[in-house]
Amino acid sequence: MQQPRSEILQGTLDLLVLKALDAMGPLHGYGIARRLEQLSQDVLKLNEGTVYAALLRLGQSGWISAEWGASENNRRARFYSITKTGRKQLLSQVKNWERISGVVARVLQLEGQR
Amino acid sequence: MPTKLRVWISRFFAIFVRGRQNQNFDEELETHLSLLTEEFIREGMARREASYAARRQFGRFAEVKQERYEGQSLPVIETFLQDLRLAIRIFLRSPGFTVTAVLVLALGIGANTAIFSVVNAVLLKPLNYPNPDRIVQFMLSTPGGPAVGGSAAELNIWRQQTGVFDDVSAYRLGTINLTGESHPEQLTLAQASAACFHLFGAPVIQGRTFTVEEDRPGEGQVVVLSNALWQRRFGGDAHVVGKTISLGGEPHTVIGILGPGFDFDSDPPPDVWIPFPIDPNSEDQAHYFAAAARLKPGVTLAMANAQLQVAYAQFRRKYPHYAGVGNGFSVERLQDRFVSDVRPALVVLSCAVSLVLLIACANVANLLLVRATGRKREIAIRAAVGAGRGRIIRQLLTESVVLSVAGGGFGLGLGMAGVKALLAMNPGNIPRIGAHGSAVTADWRVAIFTLIMSLATGILFGLMPALQAARGDLNSSLKESNSRSGTGSSWQHTIRSTLVISEMAMALVLLIGSALLIRSFIALRAVNPGFDSHDVLILPMSLAGTHFVNTPAVDQLVREGVQRIDALPGVEAAGSTTALPLFQNNAGLPFDVVSHPLAGGPVRVSYTAISPGYFDVFRIPIVRGRAFTDRDGGGAAGVAIINQAMARKFWPDTNPVGDRIVIAKGYAPGFDEPARQIVGIAGDIHDEGLNRTPGPIMYVPLAQIAPGIAALFTRVTPIAWVIRTRVEPYSLSSSIERELLQASGGLPVAQVRTMDEISVRSTARDDFNMMLMSIFGGAALLLAAIGIYGLMSYSVRQRTQEIGIRLALGAKSGALRNMVVGQGMRLALTGIAIGILAAAGLTRFIAGFLFGVKAWDPIVFILVPILLIAVALLAVWLPALRASRIDPIEALRCE
Repeated sequence: MQQPRSEILQGTLDLLVLKALDAMGPLHGYGIARRLEQLSQDVLKLNEGTVYAALLRLGQSGWISAEWGASENNRRARFYSITKTGRKQLLSQVKNWERISGVVARVLQLEGQR
Repeated sequence: MPTKLRVWISRFFAIFVRGRQNQNFDEELETHLSLLTEEFIREGMARREASYAARRQFGRFAEVKQERYEGQSLPVIETFLQDLRLAIRIFLRSPGFTVTAVLVLALGIGANTAIFSVVNAVLLKPLNYPNPDRIVQFMLSTPGGPAVGGSAAELNIWRQQTGVFDDVSAYRLGTINLTGESHPEQLTLAQASAACFHLFGAPVIQGRTFTVEEDRPGEGQVVVLSNALWQRRFGGDAHVVGKTISLGGEPHTVIGILGPGFDFDSDPPPDVWIPFPIDPNSEDQAHYFAAAARLKPGVTLAMANAQLQVAYAQFRRKYPHYAGVGNGFSVERLQDRFVSDVRPALVVLSCAVSLVLLIACANVANLLLVRATGRKREIAIRAAVGAGRGRIIRQLLTESVVLSVAGGGFGLGLGMAGVKALLAMNPGNIPRIGAHGSAVTADWRVAIFTLIMSLATGILFGLMPALQAARGDLNSSLKESNSRSGTGSSWQHTIRSTLVISEMAMALVLLIGSALLIRSFIALRAVNPGFDSHDVLILPMSLAGTHFVNTPAVDQLVREGVQRIDALPGVEAAGSTTALPLFQNNAGLPFDVVSHPLAGGPVRVSYTAISPGYFDVFRIPIVRGRAFTDRDGGGAAGVAIINQAMARKFWPDTNPVGDRIVIAKGYAPGFDEPARQIVGIAGDIHDEGLNRTPGPIMYVPLAQIAPGIAALFTRVTPIAWVIRTRVEPYSLSSSIERELLQASGGLPVAQVRTMDEISVRSTARDDFNMMLMSIFGGAALLLAAIGIYGLMSYSVRQRTQEIGIRLALGAKSGALRNMVVGQGMRLALTGIAIGILAAAGLTRFIAGFLFGVKAWDPIVFILVPILLIAVALLAVWLPALRASRIDPIEALRCE
């Protein structure tokens, strides 16, 4: 029996996509979806289409760039890669995430000790 | 760039390209789906099942695309584009209205653009020098306000103020003859201190400029060429540096060449630059140059002026008997100084032209109000299907801004064409506009001004109609079977009447302004200048150089020249002078009376050296005593003639003829001369302009000027040959030039003109202002007439039915006509009454431009309102006539 899959947290999808591009180099939308699936080990529930909204947002912020290329099955696909400012942004967002998740974890522990 | 701004910008541009990108995006999604499907097939699903699973995992296509679309838009812009498309459709549907409104606005905005382009070129563009706002010009305080000027003694004091100034430079513009080349030519000369080039950032492309040593007298004769002269006379040959050219008959070594475009803001620009040697110990008080400097970093204008006050006190201690032009030193920013005498006129013209635009706005607002009534139902329907009040106002404002921006676009073209035509026709000596106004261009400032003006105009005239339309009562609007019934709400009627009243008032103010200027123009034409300018030819000749520095040589030249010219057929009289009437180039020198010295010491008055023929040429009467004759030569007893103004001022009760005066005693080396006897009194001439009262002038024979004065004159000002002809003056110019070439041993003349041309030029700027104000006044009159005509004919059309009923019930058509005329004229008269009050308050701002007419001139204040009443009457008469001719049967049937 599979575990119930968690809804992805609002706003974290962009961070995950950015991280995936940082780690893997240029990917197309499908590749990103696969990568997220792998990494989350099927814990996260993801409509793959939403990846494209995230890609649009990241592109508009100038954190990723895109160019056309050929996919594995020889069809046209856009390959996305992280930019220099994107890397900077990733670094600061990761730091931010760690800080917040640390705080949340601590608060939840407090609750548990009562 | 902040990320948020970046997102906005990419969203903004996405709006325009997203349509084209959609296909690409579809393809991208298809690829994704196919990859996913293939994956599922590899995992063992059947193709059909795999495709279904892929779609499920991907999510809904439409949702993904919708999300993307929303991510590529800015709601504000979306709405605006929607409104814009609607507005353009609506305007294309009613071309008559659109063309009228755009034309009226193009005229209003175009006139503003035209004036602004001049204001921009003259007042706003910084001078083309490094740090132009730190360059200051030295001023002498005089009873008539600060005046530019400097003497060697003053310059030396200014140079000592090293705490506040850098690069203190003396400079003057003049003329000098280039001889020894294939043909002699009179050049424009700039004489300048070494620091001048640094101060004004002159670009040097070959060689060098002057050294500080060359600021001292007795150093070598060197010259720097302007780029234009270097190209024109020397074919751009770089080897000219080091060569010798003959200027004023003396050899000068070319040491440098300036870069192109450095015109020193002078018209014509200098051709050659020579050093300005001034002895640092000189006590010379003669004022014949200008001086400028750069404020030291951190020094303000106020600090510099405070320092100059101290310097002036020092100066007076050193020269207790100073009889110069001023009673204090100060500095002003060069740019302010440069435009000081055109600024007031440009400010007045800017205000006048914005009134024209306001009237245009009122007109278009009225047009829109009329349209809004016609569109009541359309707007009510929009409101009924859910458009909020704000949304409707926004839509209507977008419409008016579309109109005004279209008007602004045409206005920009119209305004620039208009200003070019005006400036080419009548330059009027406005500084910084270039030859025939070539410096007045549509640069980014003009473009931005026009854009802002258009947007502001659109909101100004659109807001009222938009508010009015949006406030309508939905229910009653929808019920009204057709928009024609009724006369519109009373609120709306009040607005329209107010608009027409204010149009009338503003038009009256403008018309009174232009009428006052026209009266001044006529008064100026009626002034008797004191001399006869018709049929007089003027030929300036530069005597700069070593040959004519002494009085006998000048006297010899003038006698020979006059003799030769007199012998030409068609010549009535000939003479020569150091100063021309209206030319404002006369020197001032202090004088005193020998028998009863003036109470406050010597007084400075205008000093003009002339040959005996001068008074005959200009037909200036000798009212007492005698004129100069050939016998008043160098060896004869010193004589002088004074004008009536001088006689009145200094000999109020006695007869000056026979008294002896002494001129320029101790003023500068070589200026001293024995006392002269006053032998005659000449009639007054308007020397400084037709609008100035004649000031005191003393005339001396050219043959008798003191050696120092002769040396200075030949150096700094050309003499003018003046010839009264019996034939068309220009027809003699070449034969006169030939005789003068003979008499002078090869000196050229330049800028040959008639005295009439000089007279016209002296009032050109006033004429220009008058013409512009008249154009604005005429435009205002026309617009106001259209405004009241439009309102009354609309009102008649609205009331066709009512009028029909009145007629059917037996009203006389004449009475109906009078009713409409009465209603229209009530508005016109209210506007005119307000306009008279406003004009009475405002005309004092143009008092400085008036001549021979008071700012509250009763004739103007009576005639102009009568004119406006007549025009208004005509404008309301036509609709009134239409009202009286309405056929009652038809009017009633048409419902």
